[in-house]
Amino acid sequence: MKRLYKNFSALLALALVFAGYNTFAQATPKGDLSIAINYFVDNNTVPSLLVRVKTKVNGRFQPVEGVSVNLFLDKDSAGTAIGRVTTNRKGEASIFIPVSVKKQWATSVKHTFLATFKGDKKYEEGKADLTVARAKIVLTTADKTITATVLELKDTTWTPVKGVELKIAIKRLGGDLPVNETPTFTTDSTGQASADFKRLGMPGGKSGNLTLIAKVEDNELYGNLSVEKTVNWGVKFTPVNTFNNRTLFATRDKAPIWLQLISYSILFAVWGVLVFLVFNIIKIRKIGGQV
Amino acid sequence: MENSITDEKIIADLLPQKFGKAGKIWVGVLTVICLIGLFAYYRQLRYGLIVTAMRDYVSWGIYISNFVFFVAISLVGSLITAIFRLAGVKWGAPLTRIAEIIAVAAIIFASLIIIVDMGSPERFYYLFTHGRIQSPIIWDVIVITTYFFISILLLYYPLLPDIKILLRFKQKSGNGLHKFYNYIGSFWQGTPAQFKLSEKAINILCITIIPVAFTIHTVTSWLFATTYRPGWDSTNFGAYFIAGAFLVGSGAVVVAMYVFRKAYHLEKYITEIHFEKMGRVVVLLSLLYLYFNMNEFLTPFFKMKKSEEGYLNGLFSGDFSVVFWFAILIGIIIPVVILLFRQGRKPLPMFIVGIMVIVGAWFKRYLIVTPTLLNPFLPMHDVPASYHHYFPSWEEWAITMGSLAGALLIITILARIFPIIPIQETLTEQHEKAI
Repeated sequence: MKRLYKNFSALLALALVFAGYNTFAQATPKGDLSIAINYFVDNNTVPSLLVRVKTKVNGRFQPVEGVSVNLFLDKDSAGTAIGRVTTNRKGEASIFIPVSVKKQWATSVKHTFLATFKGDKKYEEGKADLTVARAKIVLTTADKTITATVLELKDTTWTPVKGVELKIAIKRLGGDLPVNETPTFTTDSTGQASADFKRLGMPGGKSGNLTLIAKVEDNELYGNLSVEKTVNWGVKFTPVNTFNNRTLFATRDKAPIWLQLISYSILFAVWGVLVFLVFNIIKIRKIGGQV
Repeated sequence: MENSITDEKIIADLLPQKFGKAGKIWVGVLTVICLIGLFAYYRQLRYGLIVTAMRDYVSWGIYISNFVFFVAISLVGSLITAIFRLAGVKWGAPLTRIAEIIAVAAIIFASLIIIVDMGSPERFYYLFTHGRIQSPIIWDVIVITTYFFISILLLYYPLLPDIKILLRFKQKSGNGLHKFYNYIGSFWQGTPAQFKLSEKAINILCITIIPVAFTIHTVTSWLFATTYRPGWDSTNFGAYFIAGAFLVGSGAVVVAMYVFRKAYHLEKYITEIHFEKMGRVVVLLSLLYLYFNMNEFLTPFFKMKKSEEGYLNGLFSGDFSVVFWFAILIGIIIPVVILLFRQGRKPLPMFIVGIMVIVGAWFKRYLIVTPTLLNPFLPMHDVPASYHHYFPSWEEWAITMGSLAGALLIITILARIFPIIPIQETLTEQHEKAI
């Protein structure tokens, strides 16, 4: 009985040690996440959301990969769920507003997007929301003048909005090139902002087409809006294909004539001498045979 | 009696000799190294170039270094035979055959090592069927073939009078060799007409081989200089390569002079004066090569362009610095210091210097190829860690060593078949002296 008591005491002590270790492990603080929602409408089509998740590491924000965030429209319920997204290595995830929330979408001109993260082993739960008003940009062009009109949906009418800052640019492969020296424009009382197209001589591909773009970026009320329009204001660029010309870089049958002349002349001259010297051996052999 | 006793003595001294015990061991060792190299090449053919350490960035490794080394060493044929002859340098006459034999052996293995580097050997055939005359690689193929042919002719023509002498010693040569001598030179009767044609041919060859030799190494340098890379983007490359080639070739001749002199007891024919003169030649060439090296490295070092910084620092104080300073000191500077003293130009010190020059030159070629490829102008991104370094695999080492052993084997066999010092020329020289 005494021995059993001893063993029991030892087991109890061991259990306490483990329990103590686990208690200590659970005490490790979880990280806090910063969740941000961005709203995008491109070319006045289906809106999309971009979620950015960050956390502070050594005093600096770093993107967090692999965080699953649930998105809702206006309220956190099954009927208004936009979807569940998981962040990539840049800490970003995006989703289009699905058809399933169309009914809810039509109920109002202003909406609030909710993002919730339930928390996991590493991070505490987190939430974010973004409220936007439905708006759009209309882009018109005439005589190398571009007019962008920003309209907000009020009740059932698209109403011009004054004082919205936007960019009017040419869409290029490496980024957007402003159409003139003014980097940004602001809409007037008619919701319009006009810019003169001063990028004359801009290469525009085979057909001379350029893509104009008007953008509202990170607007507190409207989020990110953009619209594009193709115009024929570029210079037609017809690439000259030199592939079949005689160049140093062409195929062997297209070697430059001067190069062929020089190199083959040298080649024939040197090998001519060598052939002559081989015949010379035959001549020496003949002389030897006559002796 | 056709010849005097002195003549018979000269002939007896200079006739090719059978291998002694040391000779047989030497040939055996070289053959084993060649066979290991062949096995490694079999593995390369079986599994592909993946058995090498060459990857996307270092696509030219030890094979191309070795190729440049062989091409360089082969240039000595044109220096000793042609340039000395045309310049009226008489003392170089006993060294001409050594130089030509080295040239032939080196150029054969330069061609073979290129085929090894290609991976699949049928690509060599495609060079002829699909090669472009605009490409320096095709120029190299053409010029190597031409140089090989000229070297063979330059070895063959001066041999003809010696073959006539060799044919007189059937018993010493043995049946097989006698038949071979008979096949290649029995028609030589030594008539004035034959001598006249032969002399004319040798003169033409001497004139032809010089531009071809310069071309072969200039074109080899253009393989590098026509590409835009740190360390290769140089207008100086052709001259720099040729200066280095003459130096390593002369070093090889010095080593061969010493070995043949010792092995065949040729002290009366390859004298200390020859070493003395070759020593002066090596000093001159070392200084010339040093000058080109300074041109090649000092100005980029002074500017230290950002794009070349990694490459230059790697050479001067980084991963390659030990090899770099070894090549410069052992291959160029210390030989100059030794050879400036009269005692340094004695046979044994000259032999050591020759070895130093050759070893230094081999590593110098390695430095020309690899550090540049590891430091491209566009920095390496998202590549496996192995792409950042290059150290040859055992297959590459075995093939390289096999090729070096193969070249030495060819030199050894040619020295067994043909007189290492031209007999007829030596006799003529003796007669001229007597008069």
